[in-house]
Amino acid sequence: MDDLTMLRDLGRGLEHEPPAGLARQRRRLLDEAAGGRRRRLTPWSGGRRAGWITLVAVAVVTAVLVVVPTVLLRGTTGAHTVAPLTGDRPAKKGEALTVLLLGSDRRPTSANAGDLGERSDLMVLLRLSADRKRATAVSLPRDSMVRIPQCRSADGRTVAAHQDMINQAYAIGGLTCAWKTVESTTGVRVDHAVAIRYDGLEKLVDALGGVEVALPRAVDDPKAKLKLPAGRSVLDGRTAVAYARLRFALGDGSDIARIKRNQALVQALLKKFSRIDRPADLAALVRVAATSVTADAGLDLDTMLGLALDVRRAGTRVTFVTVPWQPSRKDPNRIEWKQPDAARLFAQLAAS
Amino acid sequence: MVSLMIPLATPRLDSDLIAESRARPEAFAALFDRYAAMLYRYVSRRLGPEVAEDLVGETFLVAFRRRDRYDLTRPDARPWLFGIVSKLVSRHHRDEAARYRALTRSPLDDVAESPAERVEDGVSATAVRPLLAAALAHLSKGDRDVLLLIAWADLTYDEAAQALGIPVGTVRSRLNRARRKVREALGHTNPLRDEE
Repeated sequence: MDDLTMLRDLGRGLEHEPPAGLARQRRRLLDEAAGGRRRRLTPWSGGRRAGWITLVAVAVVTAVLVVVPTVLLRGTTGAHTVAPLTGDRPAKKGEALTVLLLGSDRRPTSANAGDLGERSDLMVLLRLSADRKRATAVSLPRDSMVRIPQCRSADGRTVAAHQDMINQAYAIGGLTCAWKTVESTTGVRVDHAVAIRYDGLEKLVDALGGVEVALPRAVDDPKAKLKLPAGRSVLDGRTAVAYARLRFALGDGSDIARIKRNQALVQALLKKFSRIDRPADLAALVRVAATSVTADAGLDLDTMLGLALDVRRAGTRVTFVTVPWQPSRKDPNRIEWKQPDAARLFAQLAAS
Repeated sequence: MVSLMIPLATPRLDSDLIAESRARPEAFAALFDRYAAMLYRYVSRRLGPEVAEDLVGETFLVAFRRRDRYDLTRPDARPWLFGIVSKLVSRHHRDEAARYRALTRSPLDDVAESPAERVEDGVSATAVRPLLAAALAHLSKGDRDVLLLIAWADLTYDEAAQALGIPVGTVRSRLNRARRKVREALGHTNPLRDEE
């Protein structure tokens, strides 16, 4: 770890979430703006709790909600985009679309020296059928041992191909390297790649007014500052993220158990999203999402807008699967993809 | 479908909001909604939660009163807001240094752990915290502003320069000096650290 990474880690440890009391400061501002008189809030400025919401999980929701705003609000500024891959790649077939979605710890700020602290916590390969009616989301567990191809790191070094956990690809060379790794290990052509920071997900959940989950038993994890009763609960952004990332207090402690929780969250988010009909609400979502995303430059405005409209119109149904896996023979704390099952899954995906 | 188009067709840049707020002051609240949480988190790291709430409120009041002077060619208002925050934080520089010094004595037991998992960072990260905190306590105000705007606020060099109203070259030299001091503080007990 370098000094900046350690410093960031210290900073995260010192950070506090905004309290509800911050709303008082907002009123103070509005009082000032109104010259002392209290005014009614406009819908745009968010009459409802805009959010000390912080929040969570990744996937289709984000593909639709997050990418559109990014492209719109950030335009095509270089800071938040990466160039599409070049070179020898799997062939593009038909109108189906494949998108790689990453959930990460930090925003990739490649402009900053020594920014090595990012990890991709969640990787999902999303396949949208040509008619956009069906989608398949394949989770790739982050501790999968795979061959990471030669990548270029943020500071310009070339890192040779080697075996490593799949989430290292993002740490090594950001979105581009993760993209290359997924294409080369799955053989599926990936049309677009998008990375979303967890805090962006937090905000999304809050902007959606929370998500409902059902727990088989109560959770009390002081480490993650998470305490939930058994049964149904509505989670706000922060809680939802904590829940999504929780590893030890629920299930069998594996990344697999976590993926299942993430999938459940995404389903819950999708349900919420499909019920939004007010433009102002959608605009609020767009706004909160925009600050937390990196996407490839090929995802231009028309492409994304078209995709968003298609998905909404088609009422896309999403199937979630996890790549077939088994404990790694070399290191039981890691996993490896089970062959030939995994290869068969990816072949099916590419042909769908 | 139409309902989807409307908001998408009117993306709002920070500069648009600020421009609008010149005629319609309450529009400034949208800027608060965008950034208050982010600024709060940043200030809570530097000064703790007690001071942070009020300081963030103050930041927006200052920003609001200066909105006429905002350079509308800059779509992203973060550097501007972080600049105001940095000035307000510097009024508390003694408290800030004291906060870091306190960390050199006790581990992070009185501060919030983020929900992020801490499995990967292991023992060494915990062990270096007091050293990092001590290094932060000893930095000059200017060096610390630059270092933390980059490490904690995720600003780029250009953005940090804008925020503090200094040339980018100065950002680089301050950052280099600050990082050197941090590394020196770590170096004595952490020979295993990576080298660039």
